[in-house]
Amino acid sequence: MKTTKSKQDSKPKEKEPVVHEEDPVVSDSDEEWSEDEGSDGSLSDSGSEQSDFTEDKEDLTTSDDAVSLDDEDDVGQGSQSESEDDSHQGVEESDSSEDEVAPRNTIGDVPLEWYKDEEHIGYDITGKKLKKKERQDKLEQFLLSADDSNKWREIYDEYNDETVEVTKEEAKMIRRLLKGKAPHADFDPHADYVDWFRWHGKHPISNAPEPKRRFIESKWEGKKVVKLIRAIRNGWITFDKPKEEPKVYNLWGDDQAEKAGGLAYIPAPKPQLPGHEESYNPALEFIPTQEELDAYQLEFEEDRPKFIPKRFLSLRSVPAYEKAVKETFDRCLDLYLCPRARKKRINIDPESLKPKLPSRKDLRPYPSTCYLEYRGHKGPVMSISTDPSGQWIASGSSDCTVRIWEIDTGRCLKIWELDEAVNYVAWNPSPELPILAVAVGADVYLLNAGLGSEEQHKIEELLHVETPAAPAPDDSSKGAPTVCWSQDEKHKGIRLKHTKTVSSVEWHRKGDYFSSIMPSAETRAISIHQLSKKVTQRIPFKLHGLPVSTAFHPSRSVFFISTKMTVRVYDLLKHELIKKLETGLRNVSSIAIHPSGDNVIVGSREGKMCWFDMDLSSQPYKILRCHPKDITSVAYHRTYPLFASCSEDGTAYVFHGMKFFVGIKAQMEEGSWTASSTQGSPGYSPLALIRLSSFSVTKKLATGQCIGHAGYV
Amino acid sequence: MPKHYRPAGKKKEGNAAKYMTRSQAIKYLQVSLSLFRKLCILKGVFPRDPKKKVKGNHHTYYHMKDIAFLKHEPLVEKFRDMRTYDRKVKKAVAKKNKDLAERLLTRKPTYTLDRLIRERYPKFVDALRDLDDCLSMVHLFAALPAIEREKIEVKRVHNCRRLSHEWQAYISRCHKLRKVFISVKGIYYQAEVEGQKVTWLTPHALQQVLPDDVDYKVMLTFLEFYETLLAFVNFKIYNSINVKYPPILDPRLEALAADLYALSRYFDANSNASIASSQTVAVSETDQVKDKKDGADLDESELRLAQLQHQLPSNEPGALMRLEKDAAGEDEDDEETKECRTLFKDMKFFLSREVPRESLLFVIPAFGGVVSWEGEGAPFKETDQGITYQIVDRPTQGHKFFSRDYVQPQWVFDCINARIILPTEEYMVGRVPPPHLSPFVVYGPDEHVPDYAETIKRLQAAARKEILPMPGLVGVEDLENPQNLLDEGIIDRSEAIEVAKRKRKLSILQKQHLDELNKEVKGEKLSFESNVSDKKSATDTGDAEVDHLQEGKDEEAMLKSSMSRKQRGLYEAIQIGQERKKAKTSRIKERKRLIDEAKKSST
Repeated sequence: MKTTKSKQDSKPKEKEPVVHEEDPVVSDSDEEWSEDEGSDGSLSDSGSEQSDFTEDKEDLTTSDDAVSLDDEDDVGQGSQSESEDDSHQGVEESDSSEDEVAPRNTIGDVPLEWYKDEEHIGYDITGKKLKKKERQDKLEQFLLSADDSNKWREIYDEYNDETVEVTKEEAKMIRRLLKGKAPHADFDPHADYVDWFRWHGKHPISNAPEPKRRFIESKWEGKKVVKLIRAIRNGWITFDKPKEEPKVYNLWGDDQAEKAGGLAYIPAPKPQLPGHEESYNPALEFIPTQEELDAYQLEFEEDRPKFIPKRFLSLRSVPAYEKAVKETFDRCLDLYLCPRARKKRINIDPESLKPKLPSRKDLRPYPSTCYLEYRGHKGPVMSISTDPSGQWIASGSSDCTVRIWEIDTGRCLKIWELDEAVNYVAWNPSPELPILAVAVGADVYLLNAGLGSEEQHKIEELLHVETPAAPAPDDSSKGAPTVCWSQDEKHKGIRLKHTKTVSSVEWHRKGDYFSSIMPSAETRAISIHQLSKKVTQRIPFKLHGLPVSTAFHPSRSVFFISTKMTVRVYDLLKHELIKKLETGLRNVSSIAIHPSGDNVIVGSREGKMCWFDMDLSSQPYKILRCHPKDITSVAYHRTYPLFASCSEDGTAYVFHGMKFFVGIKAQMEEGSWTASSTQGSPGYSPLALIRLSSFSVTKKLATGQCIGHAGYV
Repeated sequence: MPKHYRPAGKKKEGNAAKYMTRSQAIKYLQVSLSLFRKLCILKGVFPRDPKKKVKGNHHTYYHMKDIAFLKHEPLVEKFRDMRTYDRKVKKAVAKKNKDLAERLLTRKPTYTLDRLIRERYPKFVDALRDLDDCLSMVHLFAALPAIEREKIEVKRVHNCRRLSHEWQAYISRCHKLRKVFISVKGIYYQAEVEGQKVTWLTPHALQQVLPDDVDYKVMLTFLEFYETLLAFVNFKIYNSINVKYPPILDPRLEALAADLYALSRYFDANSNASIASSQTVAVSETDQVKDKKDGADLDESELRLAQLQHQLPSNEPGALMRLEKDAAGEDEDDEETKECRTLFKDMKFFLSREVPRESLLFVIPAFGGVVSWEGEGAPFKETDQGITYQIVDRPTQGHKFFSRDYVQPQWVFDCINARIILPTEEYMVGRVPPPHLSPFVVYGPDEHVPDYAETIKRLQAAARKEILPMPGLVGVEDLENPQNLLDEGIIDRSEAIEVAKRKRKLSILQKQHLDELNKEVKGEKLSFESNVSDKKSATDTGDAEVDHLQEGKDEEAMLKSSMSRKQRGLYEAIQIGQERKKAKTSRIKERKRLIDEAKKSST
């Protein structure tokens, strides 16, 4: 308790501010205190200014002092000034009190027990002992307290050994402290916040006056504003314009067709229009039956119909179509992802595609029916050949026989039994020399058919070879004995011994020369023989590829050699290549030359037949694809514009080759026979003889045409 | 050396120079794939098939010129701008600069497609030619629900609805509709506008299924173009009949979803106004200038006008017809339009609530009928005595007025397709109606024709007062004694006589034809026999038949072998197609036969 404020100090402020400090322990005016008590109790504990104010008033009224001025001032100034004043007062007070009322005792902070038994309690500032006061006994104290109502104010200060009276304000202060509040009543715990760090006009640190620029508008800002103003005035800046809807106007008002950029626009094809089956109530026949629906389930998903018709009995029962969005989407995809191209819509009658063929009737005569069968062979017939007079045919079969038949009657005239299967027979084209060339294994036989009776001896002479003499020098002189001529006594003919298997024999038109092919003999595959001189010579040309067949030109000395891919045409006199025919085929099997010599047909194992016109080009004039299987042989008719092909599929076609192109198909009778050869025959009766395995039939037509099927006898 | 080696310094030539793949194009245009798609859709650029696919078979090829066309498109630059703008907004949002983001969003750059439409369709007719997909799509989207997830906005759906109604209103008003067909997929309509046949499909007015395996982004891009196109087309056609385009509708009717009726009223009001205004052209023009000045006032007044349409005489039933009569005198329409206009003339229809209202509201006025429906805003009530047909689609009808026929909706559609008023017995309430046939089918020579199509054909002929040879027993009888027809009142006496004459002629002709046929057969045989042989007749004829068969076969084979490869391929392809068609018709015929047999056996 360092502050010892008396009643006085608050009262006489102006008159004698120092006096009350001199006697701090003065107590008076009991009634006032009591009054205070009451007022204090009645007033709120908040220690608000209001309560102070009332107190002060009471003070005024009671004491009649000159405090009134001060108090009035307080009222006028308001709370803040008052508090300020108070604090000011307080400060002054405390200062003075500290100066004046230094503790009398100077012992410091030591336990007082040490002085318990001493007479003094300590020392004052000058060093004199401070005597202990006389102690009042308890009873006296009690009585005193009973008498004096203000006794409770007195507090004994042990340290200084004196009694201190607590003033009214101090009491209040204590009470506030006990309540846990701020000791001063005028302290406002919820005062407005004062932002000490903000300053107006004056910086708290720098005291410099506001610069001028703060009061002048910025030049650049001014310029910007001017710009904005101008923009607004000119309508460059607009404010809060409502969003305008895209305007619709007459886009095609002038209707002048603008030239569109880019490529020509191809409109997308329109979606297909719906048919009856898409109706919500289609006719009953459009709805698939249960079996058909089940059959759909067995199909692959992509093969199933996209739309299955369904029938609803009333419009109200039709549901929403579940694929509506999907189908529209697919259409969208088609529109922007599908390549588009203008395509000529072919809406033509398929009949108009067919070439205009003349009616068959106009193309007569041609063979149309099987007329006769020549039966007798026991194995497949490999080759046939007709006699130049057209009266006889010779056939060679794999049952090792060669037979001669009379065409008109089907009578078998002669049979030669040979050692091996017959590959080929060819009749000498000269009518005076009824000689047959037969290719059997590695031999070629020249046989006397024995038909022309008056020239018999001449033929026998021709077919006579001096066996031992002739071949030997031949061999030695040539150095390469490919062929050996010898007399065959058994068959009364000549036997030409070859080194390899002979596949075919072809006669020259005059019947003196003939050629033979040994496909496996490589460079010496083709040899040409002269019957009159009994001489064999190799062809003077280089072979390109494997020879397949050969042919002599029917009127000039021109020789055709066909290899697997091409046909080469040689001049025999000049020993040079005339032409190379590009067939475009891969596996040529046979070749035939028209009697006039300007047309060539080539058949191949791919089932294709090429027709060359020798005057035009080395490319085929026409390629016919009629047989599904290998063509084995092709042939020209000797007088009519007909040609024929036969194939392993058991059919033979006869074509008309004059103005148009017409074919007559001769279906072989029973199943799987193989046509092996066709042969054009001259003149009056059979047109073509087509030879099959081991059956031979010929039938004659009313028109005199004939088609022959080789067959069994 | 690589296959397509090009020496250095030599320019690309041929297909390699003319075409580029899609990825090349994207790189060239410097756009993303999605943007490229969008551009292709909007510009109508599609891939093309080069003769030689330089980069391989699995690529899509675009023509170089098409890509150059895209490259010069100002829209590309616009899209780029939009992209950068989007980035700006994104940045503002990321920096939590909400004000800036909002401000930016309010002035987002937009683009218009009108120039593209003009470019793709230089003439109005071109646009009409390509309108099928557009209409189908817009009608579909008008029926779709708005989905936030797929960015199908409510605004767009409403716009689609509005556009489709405007189109329908025009078609209905000008009687341009020609064919209608209710299919499982929806209702097909075919109209003829400026000589162009425009066909579109509207889905049934039910909740649509939205599949997941659909890229809605692509569809919406298409829709964007189609919406603009249809708006411009609508403007043009409205302009052509002197009606102001964005029509202002009575909001009350719009709220009741009777847009079509509202539109028809708008037309009536407008045409009246146009007649009035034509007399005072000059005045109106000055007025218009004034109007432009006070735009806001104009809008209000227009709205008032729309509301006032309610009080116009067109409100009365039959007023529409009167108007049309007036118009009919002026217009010079072609025959078909006249026929269409007068099909349902002087007929009043009433729609029950279960029938597809929108469709019938569109279709019936298009053929000159007057129509009302059950519900608010309808022009007349169910109790109206003048109603001739009530369209119902319920199993039984409770209360019936005797003055009117109760028919199923299919009757209206069948009548329209047949262009005659069909008898209503078969379309009565609760009955299963006769099959609904597609009007788009053109019957080939030996195609299956459903029975009902024949019936309709006869009825049409009767309506035209002509007699056609009638198929089946009934027909034959009728022809044989025209007295029957006379009794039935289908024809009058003079015609009966004529029919009798015609019948006689017909029989004579038939006989002649038969004779000729017989002769032909015999003649062929004769000639053939002479060819073969005269002697053996019995055996030879047998042979001849075989030969005849074989000849046919030979002919076929020879033809094939003599055709060029190209022609043969074509021929075979055609044959296959024909076979397929034949198989289809034969299947249908077989089904029909079985059904008939079953019917016979049951009776």
